[in-house]
Amino acid sequence: MIEINNLVKSYGDKKAVKGISFTVNDDEVLGFLGPNGAGKTTTMNIITGYLSSTSGTVKVNGHDILEEPELAKKEIGYLPENPPLYTDMTVNEYLNFICDLKGVAKDKRKEQLVNIKSMVKIDDVQNRLIANLSKGYKQRVGIAQALVGNPKILILDEPTVGLDPNQIIEIRRLIKSLSKTHSIVISSHILSEIQEVADRVVIINRGKIAAIDTLNDLSKRLSGQSKLLLTFRGSVKDSAAKIRTIKGVSAAVPRVVDNKIAQLEITVSASDTTEVRTQIFYMMANEGWPILEMRSLDPTLEEVFLNITSGKGRA
Amino acid sequence: MLAIFKREFLSYFRSPVGYVAIALFSFLSGFIFYSQFSAGSVNIATEVISLRAFFVIIVPIITMGLLSEDKKRGTDVLYYTTPVSLFNVVVGKVLAAFALYVIMFINVIIHIIVTLACGGDFEVGSVGTIIVFFFMAFMFITIGLFASAITDNQIISAIVAFVIILITQLISTIGSYAGTAITAVLSAINVSSAKAAGDGIASAIAWFDPFVKTQDFRLGIFSVSALIYLVSIGILFLYLTFRVLEKKRWSQA
Repeated sequence: MIEINNLVKSYGDKKAVKGISFTVNDDEVLGFLGPNGAGKTTTMNIITGYLSSTSGTVKVNGHDILEEPELAKKEIGYLPENPPLYTDMTVNEYLNFICDLKGVAKDKRKEQLVNIKSMVKIDDVQNRLIANLSKGYKQRVGIAQALVGNPKILILDEPTVGLDPNQIIEIRRLIKSLSKTHSIVISSHILSEIQEVADRVVIINRGKIAAIDTLNDLSKRLSGQSKLLLTFRGSVKDSAAKIRTIKGVSAAVPRVVDNKIAQLEITVSASDTTEVRTQIFYMMANEGWPILEMRSLDPTLEEVFLNITSGKGRA
Repeated sequence: MLAIFKREFLSYFRSPVGYVAIALFSFLSGFIFYSQFSAGSVNIATEVISLRAFFVIIVPIITMGLLSEDKKRGTDVLYYTTPVSLFNVVVGKVLAAFALYVIMFINVIIHIIVTLACGGDFEVGSVGTIIVFFFMAFMFITIGLFASAITDNQIISAIVAFVIILITQLISTIGSYAGTAITAVLSAINVSSAKAAGDGIASAIAWFDPFVKTQDFRLGIFSVSALIYLVSIGILFLYLTFRVLEKKRWSQA
């Protein structure tokens, strides 16, 4: 359990974090969301003891990170944005070094490392130089590093950034399996990524908390409206006018127009768009405008902020 | 501490750095030994003292990456976020560089064996010179470590270490120049004790010269105060390095 109380970090005149408070409960996955530069990494760096806060406290399982740093740090495994890897070592040498740093007893070390290596699936590269590993493997070695010493809490800063889709799915699966026995804080600037794994989300923007919510509540709040992206061949102006007349459509804005395709962004006021989509299909067919693609648009983080901050109040 | 020491020491041999330093030292010491040997009279103390002139090159090579590389790779996160203490990190790194010096010194031991085998002498007085050599190595390594802590660029760190060590080697010369200049200025404005003031300044600056301080060892005089001086400077730079690392966390800029 981590208790974060009124955290402030200023760099000169600029405040990167302006009074953040939240709690991470045992065995939960907390998504930490925010656009780039919102203060996610700074906050995580303070929680792990890499940076110190200008004011405010962080307590890890009851231990203050500044007053009892060694006890607090034992509880935390940290994967920073750039995994702290010594590229001139092999995976085994590196993990043994981490065991030394974290003071893992010699007799427990072997068993623990075997477990970790099979959990993050790096058995087959354990004798290779880290410098020669692919980005995905490096990321996994980074996670392995965080797991050494059996910390109860894992802090993962954008663990899927720069990975290909297959690797992202694997890392997600790994995080899910770890969440059974660990509290996890995972940061990202992509909403859909967090939705898959997190129980609760903290959204921060410009150093302040914009919302703390369970995922269910958040998606309910966001479900006020949905967006569709419609790509077709035909007249944009005419079709936009026609589509606006369909019941349930609150807006239709042209996005891309050239002489081959036209694209409309359609806002639907209901959360279920099936009925609207059916009607759009028949209408377009009648007019002889072939639909090339119709898909729903995920809300962007900016839209989430707008939604959350536009007078609906905080949970 | 042991973990940091082990990693850092082995990393010298995962990159060319360790080999370059050892090769350079072997060449220099070998050359000095050879010129004495071919002249028919070997004095190990003279060899060791001559080798001190090359701290200025070898120390920056072995210390430049100690902390700067960690910052560049992002591995310094490990020192701050694992239960290991920063003090242990600093000491571990100094010991690693020092151990490399010990390895390099095997050359001199070989030279001693060769000298004895060929019927030469090894004066017991030379032991003092060797002890001073290691104390100086420790001091200069801490200076190099400090230079490595203030930047994330190995080249800049090497240059800073080079300059600081160069200044310590020239300190007496700098002092006598400063003394002469002050004498000249004071006598120009008719101060009566101009010469005394200039000499005073010169000897005050020269007091800091580690090479002058340890001259007595050559005569077989074991001067504890000189060793304490070297260790104090070393500890001072260890402390400064520690503070630089600590400060990074508290930085507001």
